[in-house]
Amino acid sequence: MRLIAASVSIGSPLVVALLAALALVELGLLAWALLDLARRPADRVAGGSRLLWLLLCLFVQLIGPVIYLAVGRVPAAPRALPRPQAPGGGGHVARAAAALYDAAGPPGGAEGTGPAVELVDVRKVFRTAAALDGLSLRVPEGSVFGFLGPNGAGKTTTLRILAGLARPTSGEAHVLGHDVAGAGGDVRALIGFLPDVPAFYKWMTAPQYLRFAGSLFGLRGDVLDVRVAALLDLAGLVRVGMRIGGFSRGMKQRLGVAQALVNAPRLLLLDEPTSALDPIGRREVLDMVAALRGRTTVFFSTHILADVERVCDTVAIIDHGRVAAHAPIDELRLRRGGLNRLAVEVDEPQRLVAALEGAAWLRAVEVAEDGGLRLATDDLEAAQRELPALIARLGLALRRLESDELSLEDVFVDLVQGEHR
Amino acid sequence: MRGFGAFLGKELRETVHTWRIWVLPAFILFAALSSPLITFLMPTLVDRLGGMPQGFAISVPEPTALAAYVEYLGNLGELVMFALVIAYGGIVSSEVRSGTAALALAKPLSRGAFVLAKWLSQLLVVAVAAVVATAACIALTAVLLGAGPAAQAVAAVALWSVYAIVILSAMVLLSAVLSAPAAAAGAGIGVYASFAILAQFEATSRITPAGLMPAAQAVLNGEPTHWQAPVATSIAVSAACLAAAVWRFARREI
Repeated sequence: MRLIAASVSIGSPLVVALLAALALVELGLLAWALLDLARRPADRVAGGSRLLWLLLCLFVQLIGPVIYLAVGRVPAAPRALPRPQAPGGGGHVARAAAALYDAAGPPGGAEGTGPAVELVDVRKVFRTAAALDGLSLRVPEGSVFGFLGPNGAGKTTTLRILAGLARPTSGEAHVLGHDVAGAGGDVRALIGFLPDVPAFYKWMTAPQYLRFAGSLFGLRGDVLDVRVAALLDLAGLVRVGMRIGGFSRGMKQRLGVAQALVNAPRLLLLDEPTSALDPIGRREVLDMVAALRGRTTVFFSTHILADVERVCDTVAIIDHGRVAAHAPIDELRLRRGGLNRLAVEVDEPQRLVAALEGAAWLRAVEVAEDGGLRLATDDLEAAQRELPALIARLGLALRRLESDELSLEDVFVDLVQGEHR
Repeated sequence: MRGFGAFLGKELRETVHTWRIWVLPAFILFAALSSPLITFLMPTLVDRLGGMPQGFAISVPEPTALAAYVEYLGNLGELVMFALVIAYGGIVSSEVRSGTAALALAKPLSRGAFVLAKWLSQLLVVAVAAVVATAACIALTAVLLGAGPAAQAVAAVALWSVYAIVILSAMVLLSAVLSAPAAAAGAGIGVYASFAILAQFEATSRITPAGLMPAAQAVLNGEPTHWQAPVATSIAVSAACLAAAVWRFARREI
């Protein structure tokens, strides 16, 4: 030490360099602290007094900014968002999703006047097999669209094309008026995507992942803080501190839904979003989807028919890479059904079957295992008028008479099996 | 280059949070600390060996700081390069295989930003590790063997760093083209072996990246050398590898 002290004087280059480095560090810290203080809302400054911290930073050189940066900043607390009544469902998740859109304001990006999704004669060929074989589709903006099909029908391939992860071999894919292949990041900035099996960085926590996802959309500062807090609330992951590597599949699916909403997208692409969820989780996601009706367009792929019947306005059924049917659900039932069905229960069904022979409105009659009758008619009005009179005339006890609607499952099975025949 | 900063931040945090931080920096640091130590202990170890047949003798050169630096550079050129090739076989493809890339690339993150952020983050890791390790090597050498040509050692490591950038860029390209990390690592070893062969020929050694390690050795020994042409072609080759990697990855289906 004596040797060093003897060879180093105040004016030596070593001392000058050390002083310059110290000055740089000090100025850097001061600038960082002052900038942060200027941009930070007063309610997120410890003690609530910006002036006090400003004076500390300015007059207690070096240590002041360090103290402020270490303890003077209050992180954003999960802020409660306004909870308007969601139109499509009353659950907490639905309200959170609706509030997210309400807080985000009007949707970003150029307002499209055309459909949210338009596919024109899209083909996708993997080696020799065609996953999509001339798929054409239009999805109106603001709708909740169910995309149904058996395994291997081409649902996931379609979603990957819409998300910009795959390219069609031929044909055109447009999202919100943009050509998916050409628009790149511009179109991806408008969509949210949940793949069928979402994969996350296992070392991150849920808030870290949502922050990362938001930052890819250019969100930062308070907007990102509030959005992340709201999405954690929506996903039910507020108090979950563990890394994603330790999550159950259901937790990952909920986080997947949350990350897809981080930019309050104009088009939400969900690939089998309820497949890994328990009944409560499934109901919450469906409530959320329903709550988003009118706020954004939801393109919802699934093979769970009950989910589609519950939340979708319009449905497309695809099989072997082609659209087998595409219409509003009610219209599809009507169009495919042709006939109306009635379920009837009486005390002596065989007598009623015999009496029904020759009825002009009756097209078919079937006796179910439970003894009930299933009638098919092409004139529902006549059936509803004449059937009770006939039962009364026969002196039978009427236990049940109701319209037995054709389910989407009937339509789906009919269409898909029809294609295979 | 949309999303570059955000993705680079993720890559750097990932480096710290996962095994990646330990592999390459650990190899570099191991080379830095073991080289002066082995050089210092070698005469003692040979002495202790004993039992040599009569008439045989092993001549061990006097351990010097320069010898320690030569050992360090040799380790960087072989041991660390192999580690780099194997560690970065999946630098691009592993995220595609695991599915994490699909979620990121469905957002407005460009494919170019994805590839270049991975390259830059690992370049920073290698650069920081090389700086820290070289400082440690110089310090340990000074303690064990006295002061040596530290400036020459730093210059030699700088030339090695350029070589590391070429290999890293080649690995980014191979990983963007080949889906299997093992296949990319195998091809990377092929690239490394090709450079080693090219370094044996004066004509190719003078103008290609293969000449970087011979140039580094010459700089370390205080001999005159032409390092400018290998450095220039290394920068060009690295840029070409990255451009090709971005081009290929942009066309790849995720």
